[in-house]
Amino acid sequence: MNLGDTKYRLSEFWSEFRKERSGLVGLAILVLSLLVVIFEPAILPWKEVNSKWRSIDYWQDNSASAPPAWTNAFTKLKAPVTVRLDDGKKEEASLDGGVKLVTYTFDYHYTADKAPLDVIFHITGHGDIPILVSIGRPDGTTLDLGQRFEQGLAGQDIRISVDNDGRESAFTFIKNYESEGALEQYSGKSLRTNDILFNTAREGMAREFKPLKGDYKLIVKAMLLDPENSKVEEPHVVVTGSVSGILGTDDSKRDLFSGLVAGLKWALLIGLLTSAISVLIGVMYGIISAYFGGTVDSVMQFIYQIVNSIPVLPVLIVISAIFKPSIYMLIAVMVLFFWTGSVMTVRSMALQIKEETYIEAAKALGAKKSRIIFKHMVPILIPYSFASMALSVPSAIVYESSVSLLGLGDATIVTWGQILHDAMQGAAILKGIWWWILPPGLLIAVMGMTFAFLGFSMDKILHPKLKTR
Amino acid sequence: MYKWFALKRVLKGIFTYVIIIFIMSVLFNTVNEQTMRSNIEEQVRAETMRLKNMQPAAIQRFQQQRRDDLIHLYRLDRPFMERILYRTWNTLTFNFGKSTIIKSSRGEREVLTIIGEALPRSLILFTLAAVIEIIIGIVLGLKKAQKPGGSLDRTTSLLTMIVYGMPTFWLAMILIMFFVYQLKLFPSAGMHSVPPPQGIMYFIDLLWHMTLPLLTLLLIGFWGVSFVVRNIVLNILQEDYIMAARARGIPENKVLFGHTLRTAAPPLITMSVLSLLSSISGAIIFEGIFSWPGLGNLYWIAVQQNDIPVLMGDLAITVGIYQIGLILLDLTYGFMDPRIKVGGKA
Repeated sequence: MNLGDTKYRLSEFWSEFRKERSGLVGLAILVLSLLVVIFEPAILPWKEVNSKWRSIDYWQDNSASAPPAWTNAFTKLKAPVTVRLDDGKKEEASLDGGVKLVTYTFDYHYTADKAPLDVIFHITGHGDIPILVSIGRPDGTTLDLGQRFEQGLAGQDIRISVDNDGRESAFTFIKNYESEGALEQYSGKSLRTNDILFNTAREGMAREFKPLKGDYKLIVKAMLLDPENSKVEEPHVVVTGSVSGILGTDDSKRDLFSGLVAGLKWALLIGLLTSAISVLIGVMYGIISAYFGGTVDSVMQFIYQIVNSIPVLPVLIVISAIFKPSIYMLIAVMVLFFWTGSVMTVRSMALQIKEETYIEAAKALGAKKSRIIFKHMVPILIPYSFASMALSVPSAIVYESSVSLLGLGDATIVTWGQILHDAMQGAAILKGIWWWILPPGLLIAVMGMTFAFLGFSMDKILHPKLKTR
Repeated sequence: MYKWFALKRVLKGIFTYVIIIFIMSVLFNTVNEQTMRSNIEEQVRAETMRLKNMQPAAIQRFQQQRRDDLIHLYRLDRPFMERILYRTWNTLTFNFGKSTIIKSSRGEREVLTIIGEALPRSLILFTLAAVIEIIIGIVLGLKKAQKPGGSLDRTTSLLTMIVYGMPTFWLAMILIMFFVYQLKLFPSAGMHSVPPPQGIMYFIDLLWHMTLPLLTLLLIGFWGVSFVVRNIVLNILQEDYIMAARARGIPENKVLFGHTLRTAAPPLITMSVLSLLSSISGAIIFEGIFSWPGLGNLYWIAVQQNDIPVLMGDLAITVGIYQIGLILLDLTYGFMDPRIKVGGKA
């Protein structure tokens, strides 16, 4: 079979395939997901999700179990969305004694009906630096929230959380409006700092939250005592809202959208690799079994029957529980069980092909067995296996997620099954955290659907008897 | 002769089972022995605690003595091959030993008792689900095959493909979230209320607990069945004898249920038995989520608590049931399809 032949058959296949609407939908979703995998770095809101999914520090500024940001459209009281502000206005001023004051001002436009959960300042410092953070409210007041004196920094990240560090000054602020008696009912602890900072200043503000909407200025000032050897860089502010991102966060504050995008490539890899390898093995196995016949056939059929009569999932789970395999090992183990899927059909087809006259002719010409198998049988049978290849992708994905759901998955990567496992562990069903359960499973189902569309369409073309009249 | 065929098939099944168990024994040998050794250590420690008024040297001697005895008893001092064969034999004779943590409802720790308790519960749920699935599947499949390419066929085929890769456990989670915690219609878990009611209420209570798992299994299950039924039936409907039957003026329903379904029976039975078998063995996650106290749930607990003896026993039983199912399938196949009847007169 030469290149022209292949091209012709492909174009013939395509002209048939074009008529299958569901197949085209499947193809479109597959292409789309491949694009997502390719452009993953650009799509991910949290860039280091692949390496830091299980890091606590990386996610610490998010709020836990926050619903997706778009849920605001369905609620009466709008919740603030978690935002990260990077574009601070930088001002530098020289003070007496060679001290330099660096000020970064961030604009935050506040429109929600609830106060943010926290406002967190981040800055990376070198040397000895006193740092002061403050907030400018729309009503003109500016509050100094807290200060730190960091010594001997060498590029560490300084994190100042207003909720913790600004408690004192918020309490001082509220004292201007509330009487001592009224405040006694609310001890310093039970008042949340941000409920004061984003509240309309008035009497009774401790009792009731009435949002003061408008432009806030979030200011961080760093004093460079020794400008030669110290500097600050990469300042940013995270305003932690109670809704977050496209798909919310889980109870470890992780952004679920990032996790799901990162899981896509693994789902595709697991599905495609497992099915491709196992179907190829199955095809070869079937052909060899059919071509050689006799004792070889009997032995191979017996091995096939043994493997085929092992229930996959229980064994897979026991193996994962005991050997804790990496994702590639898991794929290898799945291949060990999956290859049986296509053997029988291929064998029966190969038995027919074997009797064709052109095989006989090839034999008469003195062609070697390997030549007959690879030149005359494999190229005919491989296209037929594409359908079963596509159809076995979903089960590979589901098996992996089942193993992961039990907490036996590869702990170095993010997969959809593992997200579901965390959701089970975090009692997301009981708490009704639907944004944690719905999307991962839906994605698994959509992946399954995609390959089912592809597989069934190919099946229809390759086995014309199933065609609807 | 059918007798010989049956005997051969059963022997082959047993041989296959022995080989599978042997492979498992080799594969999980290390873990098994670790569990045994830690069990021995525990037993020796427990026995030492009971001793009183003994010299430290004597205690040590006693411990060593007991340890050696037990290691000898469990044959951990024998060569590798013998240990494996011994373990294979133990598994084959259902001598799974005692669990490390899990207990049966009466507090026994015999693995066989624990599994014996769980097995019927799994069978009830999955057999019922499979029966309903097959009935709906056959009816729907026939309807689809009657008008291939019609609107019913197209929509149901589309739905079949949509649920094709949908994980059952995920649908279970969603349904639990909706029906149990939002609508509060069904119990969240288990098989009975505590304490279980008596008499007829017992069965109603059981059904009530079973509704949601059944619903989940059905929602995912019958599409595939109907799709396969459609394809098989569609193939048969193109045969000449169907055309002949129609030409003779036999009513369409009789053609469908008499002529077609009779011919379609063998592959349908194969398919349903296989799906029942795989649902029993693949129900680990499913039962775990519904806390349905069957084999799968036992598996889940055993994995989480690292109870190796229960895990191995459960695996052996699951594989065994699978084998029995396959054997029964082959044995009944001859009755279904006279063409492949063994030993019949030509």
